[in-house]
Amino acid sequence: MATQVTPTICPFCGVGCGINLRTENNKLISVEPQLDHPISRGQLCSKGWNSAYGIDPINRITYPLIRTAQGFRQVSWSKALETIAEGLKQILVESGPQATGIISSARATNEDNYAAQKLARAVLKTNNVDHCARICHSPTVAGLNQTLGSGAMTNSAADLFETDLILVFGADPTENHSILGGHIMRVHLEGTKLIVADPRRTRLAKLADTHLPLKPGSNIALLNAMIKIILDNGWQDKKFLDKRCEGLEQLTASVANALEGVEKTTGISLPKIEAAAKAYNQSKQAMILYGMGITQYVSGTNNVIALSNLALICGHVGRKGTGVNPLRGQNNVQGACDMGCLPNVYPGYQKVDNPEVRAKFSQHWKTEVPEHPGLTSMGMTKATLAGEFRGLILFGEDPVVTDPDQNLVKQALSKLDLLVVAELTMTDTARMADVVLPAASFAEKSGTFTNCERRVQHVQQALSPLGEARTDWQWLAAIAQRLGSDQLDWHDSEAVFREITQLTPSYSAMNYTKMDQQQGLQWPCCPDTPNGTPILHIDSFPIGKARLIPVHPIAIDEGVDHEYPLLLTTNRLHFHYGCGSMTRKSPLLERETPAGLLFINPADANDLGVTHRSAVSIRSRRGYVETRAMLTDDLPPGLVCMPYHFREAPSNQLTNTAQDPLTKMPELKACAVSVQPLGAGVTPRSIDEINILKTEGVK
Amino acid sequence: MKVQSYSLDHPNTLRNHLAKSNRIYSFEADLTHSTPPLVSPKGQLFAEHENLFTFDGECFRETLPKPEPFALFGVQSCDLTAIHYQDQFFANDPYYQARRQQALLIGVDCLSPCQHGFCPSVDAGPGVKNETADMILHQRSTTDWLLLVCSTKGLKALGGLSLNPANESEFKDRDNRIASCIEQFNDDSHLQQGITAINQNQIPDELWQQLGLQCLSCSGCTTLCPTCSCYGTWERQDSNGNIRRQRFWDSCLYESFQREASQHNPTEEAGERVKRFWTHKFGDNFAQKFGRYGCVGCGRCEQTCPGVVGVHSVMKRIGSDAKLDT
Repeated sequence: MATQVTPTICPFCGVGCGINLRTENNKLISVEPQLDHPISRGQLCSKGWNSAYGIDPINRITYPLIRTAQGFRQVSWSKALETIAEGLKQILVESGPQATGIISSARATNEDNYAAQKLARAVLKTNNVDHCARICHSPTVAGLNQTLGSGAMTNSAADLFETDLILVFGADPTENHSILGGHIMRVHLEGTKLIVADPRRTRLAKLADTHLPLKPGSNIALLNAMIKIILDNGWQDKKFLDKRCEGLEQLTASVANALEGVEKTTGISLPKIEAAAKAYNQSKQAMILYGMGITQYVSGTNNVIALSNLALICGHVGRKGTGVNPLRGQNNVQGACDMGCLPNVYPGYQKVDNPEVRAKFSQHWKTEVPEHPGLTSMGMTKATLAGEFRGLILFGEDPVVTDPDQNLVKQALSKLDLLVVAELTMTDTARMADVVLPAASFAEKSGTFTNCERRVQHVQQALSPLGEARTDWQWLAAIAQRLGSDQLDWHDSEAVFREITQLTPSYSAMNYTKMDQQQGLQWPCCPDTPNGTPILHIDSFPIGKARLIPVHPIAIDEGVDHEYPLLLTTNRLHFHYGCGSMTRKSPLLERETPAGLLFINPADANDLGVTHRSAVSIRSRRGYVETRAMLTDDLPPGLVCMPYHFREAPSNQLTNTAQDPLTKMPELKACAVSVQPLGAGVTPRSIDEINILKTEGVK
Repeated sequence: MKVQSYSLDHPNTLRNHLAKSNRIYSFEADLTHSTPPLVSPKGQLFAEHENLFTFDGECFRETLPKPEPFALFGVQSCDLTAIHYQDQFFANDPYYQARRQQALLIGVDCLSPCQHGFCPSVDAGPGVKNETADMILHQRSTTDWLLLVCSTKGLKALGGLSLNPANESEFKDRDNRIASCIEQFNDDSHLQQGITAINQNQIPDELWQQLGLQCLSCSGCTTLCPTCSCYGTWERQDSNGNIRRQRFWDSCLYESFQREASQHNPTEEAGERVKRFWTHKFGDNFAQKFGRYGCVGCGRCEQTCPGVVGVHSVMKRIGSDAKLDT
């Protein structure tokens, strides 16, 4: 009974911390941090320390299931695959490839994601492939691709230790990217300046030199005002602008009136905006980190562009300790994007609508590939409701809990003729499936994850898959076989990775051995940068010159009114991750908060007669939930906030589906709600209880 | 028992001998690093997750562990001091004791300070104390080691291995080497000032609140701390339908750790929890009860804390902010 220690990568957020899995007799005994890991340096957050609970055998799905009139029935893999293949074939014959699609998983490996988009494009013949980046950083990819030519973090985590000022914009890194949040606290204590722009008084906002508590949806107004102040004072980096950027004239013209009414729009005084603009501009090295507070708006892409404009005019791009740095939410959301699990691009962001790109993939895959860009995940939802989309394969994602407007999502999923879900546990989405497949957890497979600083890291198998569980690329390959294609017949994950490197320019000089030796490789890693690229855009941008693109403030879609007088925003808690299907298996993390909560300012609570931890109802134009109120002055009056982790009180009953026009990113950060106390001693009902009563016709 | 001393060519000679009748858990790859491993041996005696009993619907069944004899090989003085401390805490805990009775502790002297360690400041090293180990390894050169046997259990385990007795003068040389190691440790005045401030209760609440703001409740410090012993319990149903009561390592830095059923919580504020933690590590009350402070100076909390509230960071802030009676 020997103890084995397997080094691998934490399965939670996009920071990509190194963890060791200690196993005995194929059982996970404990997890521990890796002392020499380049990012996490022997540290983990509460989620990382609790990761063993997340994949615990209890309540895991261990064999394939098929829905019958009597509920789910255990079947063999062969029977499950046959059912899937027959279902898909029928849909393909009757309605064509456009009626099928795949939603892949930002939790799964690059190898799994590559296989998913290949199954869609090479076998199903559709570009209907998407994943949850749609609702986290699709505006980042779209925005930074236009301005800088690359839609990823420009710099590295290590740059936090080499900068003079950190501007955290619409992000809560101590809770969501805790190890990076910790690095920020550390360097701030050692003298690095810290500015936090966030409607909420986050932990970092409390520690910062300056907190800019802007009103939700006023990002562009604030950023344009900062740009205007810098240009008016002649503080811009003229040399950098001349040599490296284009569009300064248009940008200058576009911000001409940016200071008019900015105090009212943003809620921040002009002197405070001026001081922040000056501090950011005049630091030798200044680094922007941002999150969902930028992207999850109807103005998401433009918000990203505005941040990029600010960094570019100050010349804070292409050097150590600078840059525009999106904090990506999921362990492999960067990789799922890199692998082309998006309806408009192949691996490496090669465009679907480029005939040369299509020819390249068609040739390599020895098959015809579809011409037109596909549907986004919300596009698939809408097409389903319109009767045009019928068969969906989905894995490692729980859109019923995590996507906006839960009732709409459920309606669409239940209308599908075939829903295949591969999961670790019976999530709300899996419960709606026709076929449920048992997925191997991160500890039970090999492959790679790409973290938010573009570092591709090796995930190593520590345990054998539980029961009959399979790695995602393996069951995706099995479906391809049943549909008559041998294009996904790889021997092992390394073979999948080899194919990825052949077709993805930014991964072309990578391999597992080098990745292990160098503790991961940051893309682009090509023949001319064989050891990877920690900092992007040092000498030039992939698009030649960076583009300054004028953007104007766009109001939030649904403001408050008499009927819905409070604005609801969403947040994440340090203790939970996504739909909570892994973190809520930990008795420690589950104990930490009630199963659902609403943060509310004491003044608002007082007006409504709501007390701390009491039951409240929250209603929007789309839905109704009950939960517990947490009184805190971390929120300004008028703004309330809910985390989206809890299936009992899903914030997505309430959220708005209004979208960023370019990326279809829904406006998850702002919608109008009304809050009512439910009375003393009342226990909030879960959404399931509320729905049952609704079905029975009881109000 | 009078300590017996032997000469040893290499620790592997001893390891191979002990491996004949013990499962070996090694904590120092080559025994010369003088840096404690990231994870202490705590989990070998106080399991991170374990069953306390099962209930099959009719009977409750005992689930005491029944480990084969094992040796914790190459454990440093800080971690041995911690085991000695936990021996008291878990004196009446049958699960801990079931493992402890089967354990042989082979210590190793540290001969140079480690990055965050401060064992001399809290009387926990760098030399291994006789009462904390069954045997102690002490390096004289790569091919010449001194082996001290400190317990009858140790002496019995040595049976069958013929070694030459060491010269009495070696004791003095060992003491000198350890003394010279102690001299190389960094200045510890911030620790001494911090301990005084904690015990004089002279730390402003605002400082605890500031430190609390930095604490993410990640549980890293309590997980790696070799003396932390708090655990929670829960009941779980296995695939056969049996109920298992299990215990798991808990952390007093979680907000919910002290929360009561009524939702009242004496340590709802993070600052209160941080204060409570450090009072448990350095409070004189605890020292009186356990014969020493709850901190053994390994410095693991400094290294693993993402919020920069590990021992050195906290004690430096306390030392500079507190108003001490001098």
